[in-house]
Amino acid sequence: MTEMPDDAALTVEFDVFAKRAGLDIPADRRPALFAGFKDLRRMVALMRQPRTAADEPAGTFSILSVTRGL
Amino acid sequence: MTDTKLFELSIAEAGRKLRDGAITSMALTEDALARIGAIDPALDSFITVTAERARADAAAADANFSKGIDNGPMQGVPYALKDIYDTAGIRSTCHSKLRLDNVPAADSVVETRFKAQGGVLLGKLATHEFALGGPSFDLPFPPARNPWNPEHIPGGSSSGSGAAVAAGLVRMAMGSDTGGSIRGPAAYCGTVGLKPTYGLVSRRGVFPLSTTLDHCGPLSWTVEDSAIALQVIAGYDPLDPASVDRPVPNYLDGLGQGVEGLRIGLPRHFFAEAQGVSPEVVAAIDRAAETLEKLGAVVEEITLPDYELFNACGRVIMYAEAFAIHEQDYQTRPLDFGLLTYLRMTLGAFVTAADLQQAMRLRRELTRAVNLKLKTYDALITASALIPAPAFSDIDPNSPPNWPIQTMPFNVTGNPAMSIPTGFSASGLPLSMQIVGRAFDESMVLRIGAAFESATGLSARRPALAQGKASR
Repeated sequence: MTEMPDDAALTVEFDVFAKRAGLDIPADRRPALFAGFKDLRRMVALMRQPRTAADEPAGTFSILSVTRGL
Repeated sequence: MTDTKLFELSIAEAGRKLRDGAITSMALTEDALARIGAIDPALDSFITVTAERARADAAAADANFSKGIDNGPMQGVPYALKDIYDTAGIRSTCHSKLRLDNVPAADSVVETRFKAQGGVLLGKLATHEFALGGPSFDLPFPPARNPWNPEHIPGGSSSGSGAAVAAGLVRMAMGSDTGGSIRGPAAYCGTVGLKPTYGLVSRRGVFPLSTTLDHCGPLSWTVEDSAIALQVIAGYDPLDPASVDRPVPNYLDGLGQGVEGLRIGLPRHFFAEAQGVSPEVVAAIDRAAETLEKLGAVVEEITLPDYELFNACGRVIMYAEAFAIHEQDYQTRPLDFGLLTYLRMTLGAFVTAADLQQAMRLRRELTRAVNLKLKTYDALITASALIPAPAFSDIDPNSPPNWPIQTMPFNVTGNPAMSIPTGFSASGLPLSMQIVGRAFDESMVLRIGAAFESATGLSARRPALAQGKASR
């Protein structure tokens, strides 16, 4: 699991992402959206777990391929 | 027969009476329209009531019955659709200012199938905006309310579907489920809610939220009615890229078989150790496990990967896919979205390609972990909602609610999952659990649900509001 940057670093990240996406975020919505962004960063960090045998390169989601052979 | 008795008839019971001439479709339809007129002002479950269309459908169904023509179990039976299902000539708003004037030219596949059977469309139901943002008071229509207590939320996003079914305005209503949007309202409103296997029911003509997580399915008062609805809507659609071409079984066949000898896994750690879980929810699931054991099933505790992994995986995928769908509107008219939609969906702009690829990698691992358990067990039971329905006053209108609900895992894995009532809280609100099956084994999920429903008799208890005893 990767480490969470501090708020200052996250603010820079937040602004870069928003600009790249072409978003003009109203000032009154920014605090709530930033709180959501921090939670998102927590989740994407959580997902970075040790890799397993299921990480073969062609692994993409298909319920049929996932259940095949079970 | 009184009006009250009419609304209490299940699809199966109504079907028998329609076929033996004891009732007409027009009587069922007029009863439903009258109930909507009397009760729905306290619930706001309908966005559009299609009374004229319903009467025409009912007249056509009665004419067919009189000629001996029978197009299937939905003939003459009223139903309703979440307002993200396209209906030709009838506005389909997604409960959003952005689609207020949207009148589709064609029907969704699901609507086509109900129409072909001669079902009676009562109308279009409230949802969280674009099946995501709610409950909100800054949208063109008010949020639906919970029939058990209108000061409480009905869950979402298929909020109108849950409220309308629980209030006895309609026997079955279609919802959609991307992270729990069928099972959540079912849990909070005390109905049955079935999310079928990913790929079993076509999503064509249903406004997408997240293309690899979206599922279409029914909410109903009884398990049998969900089985009937599923029978109508299941099947291959070559124009839905996720649709799977495989035979559709008869979902009614196993309903009376009971659970004797079945092996059921209980990932109790999933919910019993979750922060903020209600002891009433845990106790009700423990009682449900005992009930299933008394009926002859073997229930054993099992361990699944951490719930937070499922949740993170599903949310990252959902945000990214949802934002991609709405990206242009976010750049050109972002303030036309409701606040809660804006705050949740915008997060998709912050997901990187690597994040999304990690989520898809994890999704495969989690799916495999669940399916490996289901090699040993016929089904799993676990919590739907971790608490009874919150009050509107408990929700911060300026911050997306963090739903205390554990439905996302089975959107991530694609397994069929059904929410079913397990009892009531001390405050009189419904409690629930999920029954989760192997991919494409809805028959097993329905079979266990039917046995449990029959043993507990919980479907006999209706909200006072449905009986005309209370109003907002």
